[in-house]
Amino acid sequence: MVRGELRLEGFTWRPLGRRVPVVADLDLHVEAGSRVLLAGPSGAGKSTLLHALVGALGTTIAGELSGSVRVDGRVGFVPQQPGDAVVAERVGRDVAFGPENVGLDRDETWRRVDAGLAAVGLHQGRDHPTAALSGGELQRLALAGVLALEPDVVLLDEPTSMLDPAHASAVREAVGRTVGGGRATLVVVEHHLEPWLDLVDRVVVLGDDGSVVADTTPDEFLRDHRDRLGELGVWMPGLPAPRPITVDPALVRPERPLPTLTASDLTVRLRSRSLRGSTTTTALCGVDAAVAPGALTALTGPSGAGKSTLLAAFGGLLDPDGGSVTGLDPTLASRRSRDLARDVGWSPQVPEHGFLAPTVAGEVALTAQRSGRAVDAQAWLELVGLGHLAGAHPYRLSGGEQRRLSILAAAAHRPGLLLLDEPTVGQDRVTWAAVAGIAVAAAAAGVVVATATHDDLLVDLADEVVDLRAGVRT
Amino acid sequence: MQRLNPVVLLAFGFASLAGSFAVRDLPAALAATTAYAVAALLLLPSWRYPVACLALCGVSAGLVGYSAWRLGNGDHAPVAALRILVLAWPGAVAVGFVDPARLGDYVAQRLHGPDRFVAAFVAALQRVSGLTGTWQQLARVRRVRGLGPTRNPVTALRYAGSMTFALLADALRGASRTSVAMDARGFATAHDRTWAEPAPWTRADTVGLALAVALGAVAPVTMLLT
Repeated sequence: MVRGELRLEGFTWRPLGRRVPVVADLDLHVEAGSRVLLAGPSGAGKSTLLHALVGALGTTIAGELSGSVRVDGRVGFVPQQPGDAVVAERVGRDVAFGPENVGLDRDETWRRVDAGLAAVGLHQGRDHPTAALSGGELQRLALAGVLALEPDVVLLDEPTSMLDPAHASAVREAVGRTVGGGRATLVVVEHHLEPWLDLVDRVVVLGDDGSVVADTTPDEFLRDHRDRLGELGVWMPGLPAPRPITVDPALVRPERPLPTLTASDLTVRLRSRSLRGSTTTTALCGVDAAVAPGALTALTGPSGAGKSTLLAAFGGLLDPDGGSVTGLDPTLASRRSRDLARDVGWSPQVPEHGFLAPTVAGEVALTAQRSGRAVDAQAWLELVGLGHLAGAHPYRLSGGEQRRLSILAAAAHRPGLLLLDEPTVGQDRVTWAAVAGIAVAAAAAGVVVATATHDDLLVDLADEVVDLRAGVRT
Repeated sequence: MQRLNPVVLLAFGFASLAGSFAVRDLPAALAATTAYAVAALLLLPSWRYPVACLALCGVSAGLVGYSAWRLGNGDHAPVAALRILVLAWPGAVAVGFVDPARLGDYVAQRLHGPDRFVAAFVAALQRVSGLTGTWQQLARVRRVRGLGPTRNPVTALRYAGSMTFALLADALRGASRTSVAMDARGFATAHDRTWAEPAPWTRADTVGLALAVALGAVAPVTMLLT
């Protein structure tokens, strides 16, 4: 084995609680300095493969591992949920964690910290609290931490899934500088392949059953595999945008239609407070915006712009520091839980935080049962390709599957207001069409639909766009 | 107080813990409690936090005092209660001012604690401070899905249970994911770990340590003198 080389032989992984392996008998050899793009439909086992290379399967993550996984050299890994990678209260110390581990002196450590933060475009300073970062900012922080380590093997799990195009391209450039010229081996999992193709020299595609269905160069990949892999759900460059699926209006027609909700002069400050001092971040500053029934409104802007905060404010999930959301009396913010649930469905940015039931089917039915409404959970699950997982525990699903479940949990009780935070992250073409179909159908049926997103294809479907920059509407 | 290094801050807690064993009669109990109260007034930037800690410690102190009284030891009840205050209150207040990362720096570099253990401990403490954010998200989800708290004590209790369980589950799952991420940033093979920030010992620290010891000694000295 050479430093930076990866070798999987007969790799099989069955997570605890699943009867069949997610990946079976996989062979994959990656030479040192090679740059691999790993693609495939949602739930194909892409993250599992990265976890195997990190050495987490069977040790930190419970399950049954067979075959051999060998990795030579120092590994740096950006996980799918970037919040999981945070190890310190302040940005600088967090990035310094890797350099500290490999025993660098202080000057070199801080040089790498500053370089890493600059490379990913985080300019808040070393002392900025990590608790005050948005999802996209956390994603860049995790990458800065890996870059500062200067690893032999760079493993990235959807590193740009929550980034706007400008930051995503800055991140790709930074990755390119780190791995270019054979300095490091790269394995990157992504759904949106096109921007990465210039950077990689090999494309490996996993199928639904976790087997390798294509292993080729970027050129051949584009030339020979477009239609076949496109049908499988892979985001093949050059294919037209998938068409949102048709959803039975009866599934989404609001039980109680809502009027237009108007945010006027809305200001929200987020505080991270401790005895050692408090930091206030202004998430929204004097924002005026409206969301109307029968329309899909996209909230857009770079990471940290305040999209999630505005979404939560429309749903009455937070008390603004200034301004108000009007249109309903009593306001959503002042309502008791059960009255709020009847009218609002919200799918949070971290899907796992939204799960309350022990089974996938139970999760879909829960809010409807609380509101005394009938729901056909199985029909919903079939719609987004989760029918075979109805009895599984929500925690056992893959990242993309969890996100679809979280959307169903928000929509299935037919609320008049549907709020979706980054609903298309981690989706392949097929599941994207299902998610987009739900949003479009709900709007067509008279629901007030708002989504915080940086997905251009979803924004194209929107009737209204509210663009934010650093908490201010542009 | 904020200028003291975290090891000195913890010393306040440990000194009070040691001193509390000498709280056996009323003069010692009163002297020690008064000394800590005066120190809190003089040294702390605000009174709110120490008072909140006092209230929480007061609950357990009250319970201990009450049981001493019920057991027929009426004279001893106030001493038992104050002993609990001396034991717990200073430490509870001091811990609030400890920055986990700085604590790691000092424990590893000044006290020469084992590197990997200290780094893991600091990361774990950091996760504790991240729990407020998670709690807020979990609360939002419950409210928006019709399972928020109500005034009915039964559902309120069920809500508290569900939140606690969800937070615990999230902490456990998050811990394993974080440990994967840590290992994949060189932690698995960290043998000669360095620390990005120094752990200097200032004159304020020496004064602070002396004060911590002096406060801890109030109870035993009073006992010897009376």
